[in-house]
Amino acid sequence: MSAITAEKRGSEPRVAPARRRLVLDTPVRRTLLQAAAVALVLLLWEAGTRIGWISAFLFGAPSGILRVFLRMAADGSLWSDTSCTLIEAILGFVIGTLLGSLAGLALWYSVFVARLVEPFIVAINSVPKIALAPIIILWFGTGLVSKVALAVSLTAIVALIAAYQAAKDADTDLQALLVSMGATKHQIFYKAVVPSAIPAIIATFRINIGFGLVGAVVGEFISSQQGLGHLVYTASSFYDLNTVWVGLFVLMFLGFVLYHAIDLTERVLVPWKQSSSGHQLQM
Amino acid sequence: MAADTIQLSVRNVRKSFAGTSRSVPVLDGLTFDIHERDFVSIIGPSGCGKTTVFNIVAGLIEADTGALIYRGAEIASLRGRGGDLMQKDLLFPWRTVLQNVLLGLEMRGVDRAAAVATAREHLAAFGLAGFENAYPKTLSGGMRQRVALIRTLIMNPDILLLDEPFSALDYQTRLYLEGVLKDAVERFGKTVVLVTHDIDEAVALSKRVVVLSGRPARVKAIHAIDIAEHSPIAARSDHRFSDYFHTLCDELDIQTQARP
Repeated sequence: MSAITAEKRGSEPRVAPARRRLVLDTPVRRTLLQAAAVALVLLLWEAGTRIGWISAFLFGAPSGILRVFLRMAADGSLWSDTSCTLIEAILGFVIGTLLGSLAGLALWYSVFVARLVEPFIVAINSVPKIALAPIIILWFGTGLVSKVALAVSLTAIVALIAAYQAAKDADTDLQALLVSMGATKHQIFYKAVVPSAIPAIIATFRINIGFGLVGAVVGEFISSQQGLGHLVYTASSFYDLNTVWVGLFVLMFLGFVLYHAIDLTERVLVPWKQSSSGHQLQM
Repeated sequence: MAADTIQLSVRNVRKSFAGTSRSVPVLDGLTFDIHERDFVSIIGPSGCGKTTVFNIVAGLIEADTGALIYRGAEIASLRGRGGDLMQKDLLFPWRTVLQNVLLGLEMRGVDRAAAVATAREHLAAFGLAGFENAYPKTLSGGMRQRVALIRTLIMNPDILLLDEPFSALDYQTRLYLEGVLKDAVERFGKTVVLVTHDIDEAVALSKRVVVLSGRPARVKAIHAIDIAEHSPIAARSDHRFSDYFHTLCDELDIQTQARP
């Protein structure tokens, strides 16, 4: 009896450690790794400028960026610039996406109209919308409206094309079922076409929220009195790189937050689409 | 006898589809009758146009010539009168089980509270109580097809039109659902037209079987199935079952026995 126990004890430790592996893929450990990567880059950057390998004049330095950030946060200018750009981007995104999506869905109603306007849509889509910025400033002035208009011009066409394609792709078998139940065209539209197009439309939100920011910032580059684009543009013309970085990091943060806001919207609007595993095959 | 009153009469229906160079005739003057409270299966060789018959009767496509006569009056199709059930369950993925069942009643503008009460009753009767708020993707194939059947029955259609409704399911589930269908049809007193390639299913469920020829389809024969057994499983052990089965196989030119 005691001999058996002793043998077991002897063999166990040899096998067990070989099979244990460090699991990195947990939410907390992923976050730690990500934070460590950011910290490492900032540290190398700061060390590089102190040693003199990196020019603080051309690239700025993390410590300087933090100083500018704290000063701008304290005097309130950071908040006023951020809220200005945020309002422009969100207004542009909402108006452009709404108009574009509604127009795209409405094209489902008439194949004739859709075919008629298709070349025009393609033509408008192929113009680089940023090239319109100077005219838009001329038309709408240097205030909020011109930035919103620029963001709308970027987002509307993306939303329109995606919504129309999604409406065309709506399951025809489901539509046939409604027809056999005696549905009108309106009922088919509201009960089959619109709901089945919504996931594709929400997918364009992710692209368009970025375009909303692009429209706002480019508009501010060209002509403005405030906003993060204004901040970045004016600071770079004075070679004030630390301030430029503050603007860029805040823009990055805005994009990040907005992207996750859309994630949340998707979860609320299409609960039926949540994938069961949420992951690709593990190989 | 009341049971033999003609409910739907399909008269000399023809249909061609445009081919690459010329039009291809699919239905070549089909004529058959469906009686009140009948259970008629339409079988035929693969590709003979069974589904085309279904689509014309359901109103999804139009016949080139011919007529549908419903309770004495000529109609274009059963659209709005019939209830369809197809191979794909066609549940709306963004609607819960309850919302799927309510679909047709919504379009009719039935009072919401009354509709929900009826829907819950039906779901409970078909063993789906507790699944009202589940999305279709979380259900098994058999459960989904039951939901589709309830969605059809709740509309209280005059005729059920079934296009291979069980062919995507495994055999056990199919036997079970055949029983569920047969019970429901008798409880609600429905007329059924079943399009199927499955001879076994046709004999087990039907009162009559319409056999179509190969394309272009004509009515080759109509057989009355005289099996009193109620359940589709018991029907399969009736001594006449295999006679009917082999007769129909012969009609379809399927060799079921080694020939000398």
